[in-house]
Amino acid sequence: MTLTHYAFSSSYFMSFLGLIFYRKHLLSALLCLEAMMLILFISLCLWGLILASTVFSAGPMILLAFSACEASAGLALLVAMARTHGTDRLKNLSLLRC
Amino acid sequence: MHFTTLILSSSLMTIFLILVLPILGTLSPNPAGSLCIKEGVKTAVKLAFFVSLLPLFIFLNEGVEAIMTNWEWMNTLMFNINITFKFDLYSIVFIPVALYVTWSILEFTSWYMHNDPNMNRFFKYLLIFLIAMIVLVTANNMFQLFIGWEGVGIMSFLLIGWWFGRADANTAALQAVVYNRVGDIGLILAMAWMAVNLNSWEMQQLFSMATNHDLTIPLLGLVLAATGKSAQFGLHPWLPSAMEGPTPVSALLHSSTMVVAGIFLLIRLSPLMDNNPLILSTCLCLGALTTVFTATCALTQNDIKKIVAFSTSSQLGLMMVTIGLNQPHLAFLHICTHAFFKAMLFLCSGSIIHSLNDEQDIRKMGGLHQLLPFTSSCLTVGSLALTGTPFLAGFFSKDAIIEALNTSYLNAWALVLTLLATAFTAIYSLRVVFFVSMGYPRFNPISPINENNPTVMNPIKRLAWGSIFAGLLITANISPLKTPIMTMPFTLKMAALTVTIIGLLTALELASLTSQQFKIKPLSTTHHFSNMLGFYPSVIHRLAPKTNLILGQLIANQTIDQTWLEKTGPKMVASANLPLISSTSNLQQGVIKTYFLMFFFTMILTILILVV
Repeated sequence: MTLTHYAFSSSYFMSFLGLIFYRKHLLSALLCLEAMMLILFISLCLWGLILASTVFSAGPMILLAFSACEASAGLALLVAMARTHGTDRLKNLSLLRC
Repeated sequence: MHFTTLILSSSLMTIFLILVLPILGTLSPNPAGSLCIKEGVKTAVKLAFFVSLLPLFIFLNEGVEAIMTNWEWMNTLMFNINITFKFDLYSIVFIPVALYVTWSILEFTSWYMHNDPNMNRFFKYLLIFLIAMIVLVTANNMFQLFIGWEGVGIMSFLLIGWWFGRADANTAALQAVVYNRVGDIGLILAMAWMAVNLNSWEMQQLFSMATNHDLTIPLLGLVLAATGKSAQFGLHPWLPSAMEGPTPVSALLHSSTMVVAGIFLLIRLSPLMDNNPLILSTCLCLGALTTVFTATCALTQNDIKKIVAFSTSSQLGLMMVTIGLNQPHLAFLHICTHAFFKAMLFLCSGSIIHSLNDEQDIRKMGGLHQLLPFTSSCLTVGSLALTGTPFLAGFFSKDAIIEALNTSYLNAWALVLTLLATAFTAIYSLRVVFFVSMGYPRFNPISPINENNPTVMNPIKRLAWGSIFAGLLITANISPLKTPIMTMPFTLKMAALTVTIIGLLTALELASLTSQQFKIKPLSTTHHFSNMLGFYPSVIHRLAPKTNLILGQLIANQTIDQTWLEKTGPKMVASANLPLISSTSNLQQGVIKTYFLMFFFTMILTILILVV
């Protein structure tokens, strides 16, 4: 595969691994989620350039809008967790579990 | 105008004026006008009685009847309502009888209610009742009759509930009004039918135009009205309950005048019933059932006023039987004679009750023949007149009725029941006389038992003279309108007397058993049936309202509130979702890392399968 293809796939995969295997803070998971969104954005921009087609020119903007919504939703969850549990450490959610 | 008719009409209008004058006197704002109303009312009624003798003698001498149209009240193109008075045999004879009885009762009232703070109002109510009754009796059209009808109904309500502090009295007054109202439905039905089909409410037009129509519907309405007002079986419980009122009320309303209003209506409109065998049979069977049922109930009652009330009801049934025999004249005769001895029985009861310090239970009386000789003698005379002892007042009417019943070709079952009721009459009359005046006293010694007051003795004396002679006087002077059958077998002729004597002997035998005890406990099924009035009030007054209330609860509470709104309506959505929500919340434990790990494995598996 081409270099670009390899670069995007591997960086997407790395961000995905970062989302899954985070340790302490929920915020780091959200950051990785943002990174995934960013990579997808750049891929969409390059798709039009590589294939020389203007079919989906509005694609990146739409993805950006949706990623903003999703980020705000994730931050709202973070704030809710901070309100009820005090921090965003994950261990706090299941502290009372035996 | 003819001189005789002028005197007749003028004297009857004078009677109205004399009776209305004390009522108008109480309307004045000056309080002194209503202070001595007790004397004024009694004097007015006495004067009215003597004035009413004039038309009576004119009628007996010349046989003149009059119809007087006074005032055109409502006249439209199609329908007229006037104030019309009819003075025929029935009104001219009934008015003196009613005024005589009322005069005696009013004199008695001034002794009976002497320490009642509202005695003036009591006299006023009695006078208004009397005026309404006379309006009813002299009415020539249905509208005026309805005015009198409603008037006596309302005054009955006010007078029964005189001691309204007592819950039983209020219940009894309400019962009277409700049962009378059910009968009024029939009267209004008849009036409506007449207004639509016969175009008038005047009785002359009704009689002349009714021959072409089928009169079953209005006549059924009139029979229903008589059932309500005259306490026939089905609408009868109000009459014994009406004994909650003071004794003068019972004597005037519920023995002589008001309860005969239903029978009087049927007598007035009897030309309509001539050709309708269905209605005649209905009256016959209803009257027979009433007379025997109420006589059965009277056999085991212990309150002296209730026994007399049931005997009134039984005599009303007998009057209804007479109407069913198509003999309205005999029914009217029985009304007049019955007024005398029944009012006297009530006045004697009142005198006894007051003397024994308001004791009404006959099981606690006794030996009054020594203590109250005159009252107990008049009680005996009244009971003898009631049972139809030859040549007293009741004999002329009652024996004539039973002779007519025996020689008719109508329902034999009604005949048997009526004869049975005649026997029962003798039995409960003897029971009253035995418990009240014979034997030894069963009450505590009360010192002031006396008969010294002329206010109470003179009325009873007058009514006693009436009970003895009224039958003879009336039958001697008034010729019957239908020819009675004069020849019949000896047993039929003696039937009433035989049955009464058999009843009397049975009652004497039973009375001698009161001091012996053959069994430890008596068999009491029939006694309970009779004492509880056939369980009729218990069923109708308890079961029907309870069923209605349960039905109401079923509809409002259980159907609408519990089922439609809670189980299948708005609340169902909430109550069905709550278990789902709670179980879903309980499942989520909050282990985010494990969830992400599962997501990772799923992704790896997907990529491997899709790519490789």
